[in-house]
Amino acid sequence: MIVEQVLAASVIMTTPILLAAMGGLVNRRAGIVNIALDAKMLVGAFVAVVVSSATGGWFVAVLAAAFAGAFVGYLFALVITRANANMIVAGLGLNVLVAGVLGFILSWVYDSSGTLRLPDVVLLPHILPQSLEAIPVVGEALADLDPLTVFAWASVAVLPFLLASTRIGLWLRATGNAPQVARAVGLPQNGIKEFSTAFAGFFSGLGGAHLALASIGLFNEGLTAGRGFIALAAFYFGRDRPVVTALVCLLFGFLEATQIRMQTAGLPPKLVGTIPYLFVLVALCLAGFRNQRRKALS
Amino acid sequence: MSDQAIAQNNGVVPDAIGKGFAFVFPFIAAIFVSGLALLAIGENPVDIFVLMANEAFGTERRIAATLSAATPLLFTGVATAICFRSGVFNVGVDGAFVLAGLAAAYIGFTLPAAFGVSLIPMAFVFAALVAAAWLYVPGYLMAHYEVDEVVSTLMLNFVALGIAGYLVNGPLLSELSGNNVTPLIHEAAHLPRLLPPSTLHAGFFIGLLMVIAYGIWTRRTATGFEGALVGLNQRFSRAIGISVPGAIILAMVLSGIVAGFGGASHAMGQLHRFVEGFSPGYGFTGMAVALLGRNTALGIFLSAVLFGALASAGTTVQFFSDIPLDLVNIVEGTVMIFAVVEISRLAWRRRRKAA
Repeated sequence: MIVEQVLAASVIMTTPILLAAMGGLVNRRAGIVNIALDAKMLVGAFVAVVVSSATGGWFVAVLAAAFAGAFVGYLFALVITRANANMIVAGLGLNVLVAGVLGFILSWVYDSSGTLRLPDVVLLPHILPQSLEAIPVVGEALADLDPLTVFAWASVAVLPFLLASTRIGLWLRATGNAPQVARAVGLPQNGIKEFSTAFAGFFSGLGGAHLALASIGLFNEGLTAGRGFIALAAFYFGRDRPVVTALVCLLFGFLEATQIRMQTAGLPPKLVGTIPYLFVLVALCLAGFRNQRRKALS
Repeated sequence: MSDQAIAQNNGVVPDAIGKGFAFVFPFIAAIFVSGLALLAIGENPVDIFVLMANEAFGTERRIAATLSAATPLLFTGVATAICFRSGVFNVGVDGAFVLAGLAAAYIGFTLPAAFGVSLIPMAFVFAALVAAAWLYVPGYLMAHYEVDEVVSTLMLNFVALGIAGYLVNGPLLSELSGNNVTPLIHEAAHLPRLLPPSTLHAGFFIGLLMVIAYGIWTRRTATGFEGALVGLNQRFSRAIGISVPGAIILAMVLSGIVAGFGGASHAMGQLHRFVEGFSPGYGFTGMAVALLGRNTALGIFLSAVLFGALASAGTTVQFFSDIPLDLVNIVEGTVMIFAVVEISRLAWRRRRKAA
């Protein structure tokens, strides 16, 4: 019973992180460390709730959230590529700005501070018949499966191929790894960076939509709770490889799903919450030590 | 990540005018964006800005409130600038500030009250030690193993918040007052208030001292000069015999000390205890302050006061009109983004288009 619940919760909790991480990973492959994933998730969540309530369709809501994220991402990219802004500061600034704009809209248009409850918000549907719940262990997770979760894992399966074997994947990696080469062969580097950032925004927007529409159906200023940064942690730890990153996301999702249980078991949730971040520190150190040793050998 | 834009230099534009313009430009952008937001909700931006200016600087009491709000930013601004000018992209000042605040409060309520005023220096020293040790780690890793300091310090922020959140809800929780707060520090350890009804406290002068010390360090000392060189060109610095790892670690540790003093001052002067949510992003606003001030002492002071004014005016303007407080975040975010935009490059593009 507990195993089934934890598994189902882990899968659900993983999805938003996974979506944002896939976007951020592609972005970093193209040479941009996207520190504003959180902002785009927040935008996505907000748009998803508003559109879902207005149209009564989850698909339109999800699509709108994705494009809203992509649009913010594109603007963000323009600041970096065309105005040469430092991506870290601009990213942190965007996080602050988006929180401000959304809070402003929230209190002005909807006259509420922090939380947006709208009528008739349509949640994400479950795609498999509920009778599957009877299957042991994985039943509950299968019954709870929503389209965005499927999409997220499908992207994990497809991205390695896209990055490794398609023209746009190659361009992307060239722009990130070998800017001189990319320049020499005349790739539109700025365009590629902008595309990849819009892509990251698209996926983060989807992640935000999942946060808002998977079960709670409302928007809150603190909804993302730093998940954009957890996603950053995931692809740093996964060293930009989709499958490894996805597994790291799953681990983070599992930690999140078990946090409440750990609390009852006497482990302080605040400390457990720092595990993803410690993970990244360890990963960074290991990579650093390895590079150092390699350099010492050569 | 030694970034030229951060290391205070974008040539092209003649110096004095360029510097002044660089300082003003992000504000013009911010006024424009927030003005749009105000127009969108049907307010007259000019009226609101005038009202805000009055609320920030109108009377002695309002000025005191502004300076009080600016106090933590003086520390975090200097702490950030120390690193930025050396090309060390430390975004972990917030975490150091929080842990230092907790450390100072801990000294303030655990040691016997009989220590009296000497509690204050003890708390400051302990806080600085904690914060310096905290930032030493990413500094050491960056200097010797090329561990990316942006990500490591960013992650350490969350770890610091987690640790502080755990301590303040567990071992250090006040028995008297519910959740998320430590006990109050002894009255003897309070920093004196300067203009009693307002919360302006002696920490403001300590912050001012930090800014002045920073100015002297950057202009008059060998290590300060070496830091700037390392920020501008690491290869050159190495060639003339500067220890680059040493400069990086020094910047991190100094940054930690200043952030630590800031946390201590905020705990001993403002809140008189540690609470969860001790820093509503002072470290990040400090980044905006350092960037806007172009890492100069005077610039940092002016930017800190400006952001302090924004915060104090924002809170009271909310009472007079229905302007949401989030306007402050909009301004801060815009300033951060436009502080790193290279205007010279924009201007160049425009000219080329015209031609």
